[in-house]
Amino acid sequence: MAEPIVKETFIDASPETVFAFFTEPDLITRWLAEEATLDPRPGGACHQLHRGEDGKQYRMRGEFVEVQPPSRVVFTWGFEESTIGVFPGTSTVEVTLRPEGDGTRLQLVHRDLPDGAVGDHTAGWEEMLRRLAEACARVSA
Amino acid sequence: MQDVLDAVVEPRRREILRLVRDRELPAGEIAARFPDVSRPTVSEHLRVLREAGLVTERRQGTRRLYRARSEGLMSLREFLDGFWDARLEDLRVQAQREEKRRHG
Repeated sequence: MAEPIVKETFIDASPETVFAFFTEPDLITRWLAEEATLDPRPGGACHQLHRGEDGKQYRMRGEFVEVQPPSRVVFTWGFEESTIGVFPGTSTVEVTLRPEGDGTRLQLVHRDLPDGAVGDHTAGWEEMLRRLAEACARVSA
Repeated sequence: MQDVLDAVVEPRRREILRLVRDRELPAGEIAARFPDVSRPTVSEHLRVLREAGLVTERRQGTRRLYRARSEGLMSLREFLDGFWDARLEDLRVQAQREEKRRHG
């Protein structure tokens, strides 16, 4: 399994405000997803639509695991599209929010990721080459 | 990543990657698959692929053998690393904006 991704940042907003950006569709669509269906309680749906750099939509299908406003939210992460190689329910995103001064110290840990190249699964290789070629065409256009 | 994109923009280089994806091939055999391409051009393609980290080169006497490196394409972890950097930056901007809106 690949090592977890750990990110940390300071946001000049209260933990309550930041927390809402993970649990309210109107707010999550401002930064993470194009569309979202969120039921923020353990076992509740965490469904998101993402737009890839290839212009295609990808369906993130997850579930909330922990919801403790305003300090902690955990949800599973995976895509229905097999070409990405992270299947629904297989990886986990843990977000911790701590007050710091007037703002929030945010930590995000994305764990249980599979090893391997992007698109290394099933039709992944051809799909990856095709997407790279398309990306090149766009870059040089 | 740009190296990788530059390497695969050329269709013949993508074809070479397909040839050596599952097995190692010597340069001569690879060149034989492109009868309309000069040998130096095929060598150049192999050099570009090697420098982009997409193939490994192994020498056996005077022969050079090539094999695709699947880790040469961006790893999932690298991709998500960049993804979260970008998304969290957007979150910061939007949350700070919303905070101002709510509390002045």
